[in-house]
Amino acid sequence: MLKRPTSRRKTGNQQISLNLVPILDTMVTLIGFLLFTMSFLTLVSIESPFPEANSADVAKKLKEKPLQLTVSVREKDTEIWSPFELIPAKTIPNPIPGQPDIRAIHEALVGVKQKFPHENKVVIVPFPGATYDVLVSTMDTVRVLEPTDPPIFVKNEKTGNDEPLKLLFPDVIFGNLLGDS
Amino acid sequence: MPFYRSISSRRSRRRIKDGFDLQLTSMMDILVIIVVFLLKSYAVSTNAFTTVPGIKLPLSVSPDVPPDSLQVIITPEGMTFENQRILDFVQTASTAGTDEANYSFKPVDLGEGGRRIIPLFDALTKAREKAEILRSKSKARDAEGKPLPFEGILAIQADKRVNYDTIRRIMYTAATAGYRVFRFLAMKRET
Repeated sequence: MLKRPTSRRKTGNQQISLNLVPILDTMVTLIGFLLFTMSFLTLVSIESPFPEANSADVAKKLKEKPLQLTVSVREKDTEIWSPFELIPAKTIPNPIPGQPDIRAIHEALVGVKQKFPHENKVVIVPFPGATYDVLVSTMDTVRVLEPTDPPIFVKNEKTGNDEPLKLLFPDVIFGNLLGDS
Repeated sequence: MPFYRSISSRRSRRRIKDGFDLQLTSMMDILVIIVVFLLKSYAVSTNAFTTVPGIKLPLSVSPDVPPDSLQVIITPEGMTFENQRILDFVQTASTAGTDEANYSFKPVDLGEGGRRIIPLFDALTKAREKAEILRSKSKARDAEGKPLPFEGILAIQADKRVNYDTIRRIMYTAATAGYRVFRFLAMKRET
């Protein structure tokens, strides 16, 4: 009587097929969850504190006479000035009424920063009809140094090395929140 | 004429297998790529700020990603605080199809000579009181053992047509309600 062939010989040509259906179910569920919960809108923010002043601060300012760089955005032009006249006032006409010349303002502010590299504050005084779009673009142009701008170096007190600045005037304050201008 | 199949053609007829296996490997490849792409995109969309339909946000190059905070949304049609409509503006002229927005406040919504927005002030005060109660019950304490102080941060998400006069009133109202820091939200400009 012949021996029965071993089962190993039979399995030699059989292909094992992996059951991918549960993995597929998981993938589809995961994609659905990610699509449902993810935000396609990338939001960024610009922070600004409410201006606060008391008599002691005012007295200190009158004594020290800081730069207090101010950018007054008006309907027809934009003025860059200092209340204590530490810089000559510069008026930049708006190419379109209500739309300031962002490029020219930025270049003027880079010049101010080169003279006052340690100054970080800027006061923005927009006219009441300025749109939110104008506010955001003005805040951007006064805050951010662009790669094409000339490098401005400041000595790091800790390391003693000169380091390039990344921001222009990052601390933005609105100057006419209480006024009627 | 009737159609007769030959014996040979009947023999050569394909036999359908008992179990039909769909080839899922290529589909799995595609799904894995989609999942990886979504997970990578998911990492940059962590904020929980909502928005309203039809709002046109300005673009900004600011690198700061806003952390979660209370937010007010302003459109030329009205104002929303924490997903709740708190006031509607009066439309003063037709602005359909233009980039201008002509709207004004209802006189009953303004106080203090037009500086304070009353419905917003009420909503902000209520939110601050709620936050202060939660903080007083929380176990988190400062160095002196007192409840952590109210942060007073308000995110402002406005349509790009909204004017500064409205923003100024919102900031003044928020400051009188105890909110001293403002975050202006905008869409990230890809550089």
